[in-house]
Amino acid sequence: MTVDYRICTNCVMDTSDSKITFGPDGVCDHCQTFYAQVVPSWDTGERGRAALERITAEIKKQGAGRDFDCIIGVSGGIDSSYLTYIAKTKLDLRPLVFHVDAGWNSQIAVNNIEKLVDGLGLDLYTEVIDWEEMRDLQLAFFKSGVPHIDTPQDHAFFATMYKFAEEHRVRYILTGANLSTECIRNPIEWMYYQSDSVQLRDIHRRFGTRPLRSFPITSILRHKVYLPYIRRIRVVRPLNYVPYVKEDAMRLLQEKFGWQPYPQKHFESRFTRFYESYWLPKKFGYDTRRVQYSSLILTKQMTREEALEKLSRPAYDEATIAHDIEFVATKLGISVDELLGYLSGPNKTYRDYRSQESIYAFGAKVMRLVGLEVGGKR
Amino acid sequence: MIAIVHYGLGNVGAIANIYKKLGIAATLATSAAELNAASRIILPGVGAFDWAMGRLNDSGMREALEHAVQVDKKPLLGICVGMQMLARRSDEGKLAGLGWIEGEVKRFDVASVTQLPHMGWNDVAPSEGNGLFSDLASGARFYFLHSYYFRAASEGHVLAVTDYNGPFASSVRAANVYGVQFHPEKSHQWGVKLLKNFAEV
Amino acid sequence: MLRPRIIPCLLVKDGGLVKTVRFGNPKYVGDPINAVRIFNEKEVDELVVLDIDASARGREPDYVMIRNLAAECRMPLCYGGGVKTLEQVERIVGMGVEKVALSSAAVQDPELVSRLAEVVGGQSVVVVLDVRRNKRGAAEVWTHNGTRSAGKLAADLAKAMADRGAGEIVVNSIDNDGVMKGYDLDLVAAIRDAVGVPVTVLGGAGSLEHVAELIRRFGLVGAAAGSLFVFKGVYRAVLINYPSRADKDALLARAHPAP
Repeated sequence: MTVDYRICTNCVMDTSDSKITFGPDGVCDHCQTFYAQVVPSWDTGERGRAALERITAEIKKQGAGRDFDCIIGVSGGIDSSYLTYIAKTKLDLRPLVFHVDAGWNSQIAVNNIEKLVDGLGLDLYTEVIDWEEMRDLQLAFFKSGVPHIDTPQDHAFFATMYKFAEEHRVRYILTGANLSTECIRNPIEWMYYQSDSVQLRDIHRRFGTRPLRSFPITSILRHKVYLPYIRRIRVVRPLNYVPYVKEDAMRLLQEKFGWQPYPQKHFESRFTRFYESYWLPKKFGYDTRRVQYSSLILTKQMTREEALEKLSRPAYDEATIAHDIEFVATKLGISVDELLGYLSGPNKTYRDYRSQESIYAFGAKVMRLVGLEVGGKR
Repeated sequence: MIAIVHYGLGNVGAIANIYKKLGIAATLATSAAELNAASRIILPGVGAFDWAMGRLNDSGMREALEHAVQVDKKPLLGICVGMQMLARRSDEGKLAGLGWIEGEVKRFDVASVTQLPHMGWNDVAPSEGNGLFSDLASGARFYFLHSYYFRAASEGHVLAVTDYNGPFASSVRAANVYGVQFHPEKSHQWGVKLLKNFAEV
Repeated sequence: MLRPRIIPCLLVKDGGLVKTVRFGNPKYVGDPINAVRIFNEKEVDELVVLDIDASARGREPDYVMIRNLAAECRMPLCYGGGVKTLEQVERIVGMGVEKVALSSAAVQDPELVSRLAEVVGGQSVVVVLDVRRNKRGAAEVWTHNGTRSAGKLAADLAKAMADRGAGEIVVNSIDNDGVMKGYDLDLVAAIRDAVGVPVTVLGGAGSLEHVAELIRRFGLVGAAAGSLFVFKGVYRAVLINYPSRADKDALLARAHPAP
């Protein structure tokens, strides 16, 4: 059954999200959820500040007498960088800056982390993922034909942070996730849930060529139930409690620390950039810019016209894409032909492999009913 | 099309890579035909003089190279030992050089330079700020790795000078034949600029 | 004016980057290609890559990795590890690697150094001496990843190598490796007095001040470091770093001012 093309009249999400629905005024369900569920409970004014103060006080109390009172996951990108700045200078916390090196760091990312750590006088901890295992797992995902091939990096990032928090009994993990630029999430169909370890293991079992010995694996039950409720480890998203305008944040970090902005989004990781700007649109027609711009439209940081204009041009840089393809292929240890072979291979979905999707669906329902989760990922 | 003479030594891969990133057509030449088809030629070189000259002589491309450079007058850039090969002879070896720029290659006097080889980043002062050294007139530095230097018979053939306890020719030129003693393929942005300039001289 | 060189040194083990302390406890640091890429963009002076267990395990150099690194580097590259023959050296130099480093092979057969220098030129032949001080404080050379004593003094061997045509001597202090408390400056002095070829020092650098100290005392020298450019802070967090060009020029200006 083919669906006629349709685009939201309010944001720029369209029928490339096959589950999208529209209201009578042509406004999509992403927007509707935002207005109905997110807006009422999202406060970056007095209430937000008060809530943040409460959490901050709790973090300080739990961390008293220790070398650090929380960990902040940083990628070198703007969200986590700005968060680090806020945590130290505005919230007066003593964070350990936590970075996971999955082998794809760009020089700018590494440089930005260095500038921040030095400029703010913070300690840094890095976990390096075994490259041979990461490479093999990434290749396995390519071979599987699913869209969510950045799962190995994402999964490793969170698994590593949780593992560290648990081992060192750190009660608070701060992340740069934020509603300001991410109130609309990538459809599950596009990126699925990167924490689904059953899916990860199944794809690895079928297409991997070496055992995952040191690769960090988490699971949905572990970090949504065990860690928060049994080990009392909480994930906090401070950027949701303060006004966060991306442009202003970038300018501030540039002026104060010599932080360098990225030529393109997600340029912190050369793989993610390739994946989101080329692979996903080319193979599946999923353009994550639609999601990002829609979020910015809803939070009034971009106009719909601007978004449409940008979307009319390809997400990747035509002048350098051949070079990027070659870079990714070489790094993965395969030929360009082999990589392009995966590109033209059959398109699969998460349903083609084992998964814990039912648990996620159930959990999401429970969370929404109980009012614990703001916004809907679907 | 720039032909990079691929005769078994020299960093042909890095040079080719740089042109690829610049979007300038370049190929690794292993045959006379490829040299004939080229519009410009790069002669890279690393290692001892006789080793390099020997391999060039055995490569089957020597004649085509002579023709391209001396008859067709195609621009040629000799790099490091590739520049030294442009001379008539070298203190380092017994074989004759190409003899395309009058001069000979001498060993640095270890007593006056105190450390040999000349190894590291050094400044290069070109005698003209256009052509090969366009936009590289001041502040340009390149990587050097050599114990022998080119003593040009004529001052007019010295295109750039570098100081190593005394000046020596870090670049030479006679008509369409250019030579650089340093390694532009290993000199970051300055080297990239110079290689780009060569594509346009 | 020729400048002193500041050189990141990467150790490879089983195809991955590692960092050691006193040649033990290798800690995994990541993928070599990505590290080289980043150093490339940071415009480092030159790079040394040593495969630390090639000789100890009797393996050939990883030519695929070497070729990839050479094509990637926009600065000179020195490769060492498992190199024992002229054929290997010719092959590696032919791939576009400026310098090839030998350690155990040169120590066991110094004449090899002359043969190599004759063919590829001394400028491309580097001898790495891993040095440990004995109970009496004398600096002795060890090979095979610090497991076999060569029974020779570092300064003597350095001179023997330079006399046979080696273009550079890298003196690597096992005692200071990964400790990050400064270079063994007396060791450097002894080697410098013995040879007229460039000397590069490795082992002990914990801060740019150590680098400046080395340059201030010895002028034209190679300051190599592994931990310094790969780790950051008290937790030894892996983060590739290197001074910016402005910072490097400032450091050189302070430590090695122009005459």
